[in-house]
Amino acid sequence: MEILVCPVCRGDLELEVFEENEREILTGRLTCRSCGEVYPIEEGIPNMLPPELRERR
Amino acid sequence: MPLFLAMYASRVVLKMVDMLREREIKKAVRDGYSRIAKQPSCCAGSCCGTGSAAEISRRIGYTEEEMLSAPPESNLGLGCGNPLAIASLRRGEYVLDMGSGAGFDCFLAARAVGPEGMVIGVDMTTEMVERARENARKGGYRNVDFRQGELENLPVADNYVDVVISNCVINLVPDKRRAFREAFRVLKPGGRMIVSDVVLKREIPESVRRSKEAYIGCLAGAVTVEEYIDAIRSAGFKEISILGESQFPTECLPASIDKADLSRSVCSLRISARKPA
Repeated sequence: MEILVCPVCRGDLELEVFEENEREILTGRLTCRSCGEVYPIEEGIPNMLPPELRERR
Repeated sequence: MPLFLAMYASRVVLKMVDMLREREIKKAVRDGYSRIAKQPSCCAGSCCGTGSAAEISRRIGYTEEEMLSAPPESNLGLGCGNPLAIASLRRGEYVLDMGSGAGFDCFLAARAVGPEGMVIGVDMTTEMVERARENARKGGYRNVDFRQGELENLPVADNYVDVVISNCVINLVPDKRRAFREAFRVLKPGGRMIVSDVVLKREIPESVRRSKEAYIGCLAGAVTVEEYIDAIRSAGFKEISILGESQFPTECLPASIDKADLSRSVCSLRISARKPA
């Protein structure tokens, strides 16, 4: 966790876990403590793309 | 309108055109590579020659042992090759792969740094990250972590890694200076970067520059050796050296491009640089 930063402002991130197994977090979200931007974790992959580049799925 | 306002306005318009173009390029690159990620194992239309991924990798300089050690699905044969970077890794080091694709170099790096080290792969294409993660799961890798992100805005903390590697990717990034500034930021003081990439020995025709296929095939986004080195230097890197040069395989580029001429204008380089301690 300490290695991830917000790609927009480099702020620290707060993790919320919605779903996990013994090895990893499957679904959740990361929220930037400085700018408030939210990054989703889906299927175990944190999507750390800046919001304007994120794909709508 | 006063002259200064008109000048300002025109600068704003130009900047907007640039931004639109950058976004369009990003989308083309992401779409192109997401198509590639969905193929079983491939080479179609990307920066590599014809033939299987394994053949290409052999030609680039990866050893048989290396190829056998990583999950075969992770080798898409897309790189211009960065075996020297892998060879320089030491146990316990933290490594970032910029543009990790299906994860081939990450898995080789993971083996080299061992369980006390760590490898982070960043790629902006959803399908590539999914594929890399699947490969990590199949191969039981515990010291590799893939995340989706942009090279100009790396989701990695400052001064975190010992080594940044990148294999034939930065040419695809519209703002190369910024990508190198990010590499510099995440490196620990004294850390090193070893990249391989496609560069131009001389300017390529405007028609090639405008082709999306050529962009995805690592051509239209490539800059001259001087510009490339300058982007690395301006990010703050020292001890910049060119480790080697190889020919750029032009076989799989669109038929509309004159290949004989291009092979004289383009090459693939391996460059190392260091963040001052």
